[in-house]
Formats: sequence, structure tokens, C-alpha cells
Amino acid sequence: MSTAPKTVQSKESSLSEKGLKAGSVGLIGAVVIGVSCIAPAYTLTAALGPTVSEVGVHLPAIFLVGFIPMLLVALGYRELNNAMPDAGTSFTWATRAFGPWIGWMGGWGLIAATIIVLSNLAAVAVDFFYLMLGQLFSNPDLAGLSKILPLNIATTLVFIAIACWISYRGMETTKGVQYVLVAFQLLVLGWFAVSAFAHVANGTAFDATAISPDWFNPFAVDSFSQFAAGVSLSIFIYWGWDVTLTMNEETKNPEKTPGRAATITVLVIVIIYMTVALATLSFAGVGDTGLGAGNPENQSSIFAVLAGPVMGPFAILMSLAILSSSAASLQSTFVSPARTMLAMGHYRAISPRFGRISPTYKSPSFATIAAAIAAAAFYVITRTVSENALWDTITALGMMICFYYGITALACVWFFRAVAFSSVRAFFFKFLAPLVGGVILLVMFVKTAMDSMDPEYGSGSSVGGVGLVFILGMGVILLGVAIMLVMYRLRPEFFKGKVLTRA
Amino acid sequence: MRYVVGYTANARGHDAVHLAVALARNHDVSLDLVLVIPEDSPFNAVYPPETGYDDILNEQAQRWLDEGLALVPADITARGHIRRGDSEARTLIDASVEMDAAALVIGATNSGLLKRFTIGSVAGALLHSAPLPVALAPHGYRRTEPITRMSCGFGTRPGADELLDLAVESARDRGLPLRLVSLLALDGGDSPELLDAAWMHAAQRIAAVESSSADELLTEPEIVVAKGRTIEEAVDRLDWEDGEILLIGSSRLAQHRATFLGTTANRILRALPVPMIVVPRDYTRQSS
Repeated sequence: MSTAPKTVQSKESSLSEKGLKAGSVGLIGAVVIGVSCIAPAYTLTAALGPTVSEVGVHLPAIFLVGFIPMLLVALGYRELNNAMPDAGTSFTWATRAFGPWIGWMGGWGLIAATIIVLSNLAAVAVDFFYLMLGQLFSNPDLAGLSKILPLNIATTLVFIAIACWISYRGMETTKGVQYVLVAFQLLVLGWFAVSAFAHVANGTAFDATAISPDWFNPFAVDSFSQFAAGVSLSIFIYWGWDVTLTMNEETKNPEKTPGRAATITVLVIVIIYMTVALATLSFAGVGDTGLGAGNPENQSSIFAVLAGPVMGPFAILMSLAILSSSAASLQSTFVSPARTMLAMGHYRAISPRFGRISPTYKSPSFATIAAAIAAAAFYVITRTVSENALWDTITALGMMICFYYGITALACVWFFRAVAFSSVRAFFFKFLAPLVGGVILLVMFVKTAMDSMDPEYGSGSSVGGVGLVFILGMGVILLGVAIMLVMYRLRPEFFKGKVLTRA
Repeated sequence: MRYVVGYTANARGHDAVHLAVALARNHDVSLDLVLVIPEDSPFNAVYPPETGYDDILNEQAQRWLDEGLALVPADITARGHIRRGDSEARTLIDASVEMDAAALVIGATNSGLLKRFTIGSVAGALLHSAPLPVALAPHGYRRTEPITRMSCGFGTRPGADELLDLAVESARDRGLPLRLVSLLALDGGDSPELLDAAWMHAAQRIAAVESSSADELLTEPEIVVAKGRTIEEAVDRLDWEDGEILLIGSSRLAQHRATFLGTTANRILRALPVPMIVVPRDYTRQSS
């Protein structure tokens, strides 16, 4: 029998192995991943209505302009991700740049944004689930079930619970499934646009509106308030695109694939957004009655209303496309807040329980369940106090993305300040782009926050004379501040900069 | 000789380590604890993108492995390895082949419906495709003392002779008493002639193996006949020593539709109070 000492060899081997399969993603794969993160069918149905209600026919202009701050911030995000890869992303970077307090709030903003989008994704999936049942059995009563509040809330909670469970079990969407989901989404959105234009040409459109060059002029938007609201909403529609830029080792050609994939992805997305936006406006106009895109009844989920009149019996494909893409996004989006909370727990910025990893499934255990509970709670509260919860959550979400992306971009500027003028490339990518992008986003955030105090803002829901969007947006941020202060009392070591040091 | 232990930081992983220690103690064997952590598919489209979760997971996996290694007593050599893979079963097989392991030891606790990282699917996949013997520790296996007796299930299925040879050789190498459990009654025959024939057959194989070697078995093998309508029932009716282990051929478990192979193994394990080693068909033993 051997009595040789136990040796641990795993340390070396484990660090050389990356969690992502190296060199497994080609150009088309990277584009598919990018489009899938954006989930265009879901974002369009959720954001098109609220954006039209702010900027009317200038929707195409705002969709184009909204990409600029996203691009600028994403360039900074990529620099940070290359310099400091970390599960905490915005939380870690902002902490390293600005210290624990702003870092904590950056992490909170990211978690809040992903929690809000989780509850919205689940709600959209539920709406289209019932709509699809109605279409499947040719029974509009079934589609109406999603309007029954207790049933709607119960179904949404079930969807959240299932997605949480799948994520907890560490199950993933495979390449084949992702290709099919993305192709199906693009195909159905294209079909919708072509059908809408066909109706316009045949004179069967609801409110045929001639396309005018003015639609593409962002300066024609009536007021800066509407402009800011439109831009913060269109940040949401591009949210996800930057994933292509951060792909490195997993691509077959790390030098070229990410840049090319990002370019092709944004072209695909802009083309599909423009086509669908123009088709929707041409077919339905921006009137506030009937099928009009400006009708408050239609804002929360435009395709739920328009797919039937535009696509006829094939509208069920739209339901299926949105249901499948929002369900897939729901599951994959769970990973993100869970990992950010895990990182914050790991760095002792919150309870270390959040840092637990399931030994069986090797996924964040406590944090995944916490994310599900938070998303469920957010949905129940919003749905109970607002007649038009989806609309208000999307507007609040736009604000939240502006908040944490703004902080992240400025963290990039500050973190790289010493090398900002060392080369032309560094000047543009580490200084100018994130600075301009971050400032734009924070200005949009402040402006939207101030405007949203008006009880008439967004869907017009209000609590105590203050607009619900403000309550949701600022309420979540103030809740973050309150929890941060509690955490400061409970675990001061993080806030004294003993865990993560400023660079 | 090396045994690979499929380790997870839970009860199932502890069962596996205990069994591996018990098996190693009869023998000059070193253990390789392999902890499989999942490989992220980029197509899962996680957003916002982050790349640092790996480091935290690796750190945690390292701590888990250290805990696992701490379960191994000082008289046995053990190493720890972290491996990445989509499929726990596949990754364990690859590691076993790469390390030229003589056996793969896993815990057999089953749970769950959708099985990516549960032993139901892991055991199933391993029993299907493992090119080496797979030792399954029953739920709550705590014993780390040496194995005291080896049982071998034999019948008329293809591969039965090779399995018998392997059992005789292993028992002799380990200095263990051998018990042959005839599963013939389960294979359709219950007549005294058939049983006699089976007994004769077994005796011949044993004689053939013994004559090919200078060593001798410590004791003459005992031959018992298992009776029952199903293999679980037959297993349940037999007497088992605490330190016993059952050697069984994989074709025995694949008697029903192949997809239920893991289920059959689990049903046997539920009836069986001792660990089981499943030997693949056409397996030829490494010489120690």
C-alpha cells in the first residue's frame, strides 16, 4: 500500500481552462448570439408602443439615434472587460474606479435592470402564451385570460419559477435551438412588415400613412423631454448588442470576428427595426384610437394587437416567435443578476450567502433564487398598482439601463485616465467614446427621472400624485441606497475599501 | 493502478469517495478525484456579458476538491482534478481513459426529472458508454474499511464468461472470498438440469483461470442461486455482508430498453445494500 503524500494538481490545470469553449463560435454564430441577446421580436413588441407615444412618427429617427450612446458606451465596456474580466462587471469596475459606494450602486443598477427585464419578459411571454392559446383554438376568450389579474399574476410567477429552475439546474440553450429561434424571429418580423406594406398598397391598412423623410429627422421631435424619453427607451432596444464586442476566446478568429459580428448584428437589427417601425407606422398610423400605434390600449404590446389584423391567420406565428424568444431570454437573463449578486457576495458587499454555488449543479444557488423572488415581487407590485404595468416597467427599465451604463462608461473614463492620451486608439476607446456616451446616458437618466414625476407620464399611472415610472425608477434606486447603508453597518470592510481596492 | 472518482461536493460525492477508499484498501491503488464543472455554451447568450464567473467557480471547485481530498485517509494516495465539460458522464469517461484508470467510482443517488447533472443520467450514460468498470456507491455509503467478499452475478448472457474470469482474478488478487450468484433462473431456466449445467460451467471457468496462474484462491468459491421474478427481487433475497461488493455485467442491466438502463441499475441499487461494479462487455482487465 502506498503511503505517498496527497498532492493537489488541480490548481494548475484549472486556471488554464476557461469556462467557454475556445474557438467554437464563427461569424454567423456570433451574429446569432448578438441577435438573440437583443431578442428583437420581444423588444419591438415591448418598446415600439411606448416610444411612439413619446415621439410619434419620429420613431425611425429615435431608433437610429438611440444606437449612438449604446455604441459609445459599449466601446468602453469592451475596454473594461478586456482589462478586468470579472463576474461583477459594472459593480467591480465602478468600485475599482470610484470606490465602494458608487461601485455598489452600479452593481445595484445592473441587478435592478436585469430584475425588471426578467419580470417584463415573463409578463410578455404570458400575454403571448394566452394569445397563442386563443389563436390555436380560435377562441378569443382564452386570449382574454391574461387580462384577469390573479390568473395573470399566477401564470407569470409560474413562468418565472420555471425559468429560475432551469437556470439553477445549469441548463443551457444549445447552438441549434438558438439558430432556430433567431431565424424564426427574423422571418416572422419580416413577414409582418411585408404583410403590413401589402395592406397599405391594397388600401386595406387601418390608417395608411405615407412615409415621409421627416420621420428620420431626430431634431423634429417636439421637445427635449420626448427626445430624452425616446432615447432612453431605444437604449433598451439595443441592450444586448454589445455582447458581440466582448466575445474573444470563444470565437474562431478573436482578431476579427467580434468586430465584424458587431457590425453585421447592428445592420441586421437596424434593418429589421426600421422595416418593422415603418411598416407599423404606415399601416396603423400614430392615431390614438383603434389600431393606431398611439392608442394607449396598444402601447404595452403592439404585436398582440396588430399581428392579427396584419398577418391574418398567420398571426399565431408572431405569438410563437415572441413567446419562444422571450422564454429563451428569460432563462438566459437569469444568469446575469445571479452572477452579479454572486460576485457582490463574493466580495462581501452583500451577504456571503449570495456567493454560494450549488455543489450539484455548479450554478449560483442562493443568488438565482433571490433573483427570481425579486423579479416576482417587482411584477406583483407593478401589476397591482398600475393598469398598464408592462408599459411602465419598460420605461423604468430604460431609465435603469441609462443609470448603470452611464456609471459604467464614466468608470471606464476614470479607470483609464492615466493612459487616455497615450495613443489615438486609447483616446477614442478609453476616453472620448465612453465619456460622451456616459454623459448622454446620465443626462437622459436625469431628464427622464424629472419628467416622470408628472402623474401623466408613461401610461398615466400614478401613486400619491407622483408618476408611477418615477416611483418605480427612483424607488428602486433609493431602495438600493437604503440597502447599501444597511450593508455598510453590517459589513463595513467592503465599504472601507478593504476587499476591492481602488485602482 | 488508478481509480477515478467522480466527485461532487455533496452526499453523492462523499459516497463515491468512501467506496473508492474501501476499494483502494485491498489493493495498491491511487485515487484521482475528478470534479466536473460545466462549460458555458456561448449560445446560451448570457447578457450582460461577463467573463469572471469562471474564476469564482474555479476557486469554489478547488475548495470543494480540497474537502473531498480531506475525506481520503492518509494511507491512500489521492490527487484532485478539475475538469470542464458539458456532460459530466462524458468528461468522467474522458478523464478515466486519459489517466488509464482501472475503474471509475461514482455515487448513485438519483434525483430530478431533467437530468444534466444528476446521477440518473450520469450513471445511465456511464453504464452505456464507459469502456471501464464503473463502481456505484449506494446512497449513504459510509464504510471505508477494506472489502471483505466479492460476489459476481453470472448467467448465460453474452460476456458472462469474461465477467467470471475477471471476478476470479480480482478476488484472487485481493485475497477475497468469491461468491458466484447464479442469475440463471432470471434468464428463463429454472430446471435442475440447467442449474447443474450452470454450476459445472462456472466450475470449469474457475478451474481454467486457476490453472493459468500460480496463485490460488483463498477459498473455494461459493455458488448460490438467486431466485425471484425480477433481478431486484432476487438480489433482495440473498444475504449480503457489510463489506461485500457485487460485480455485474452491463448487458445484465441493459435487458430492457436501453434508455432505462440507468433506472434498472438504480432499482438494483435500491434493493442492494452493498456497492455494485458494472463491467462493460468485452472489457479486459488491466494487469496490476
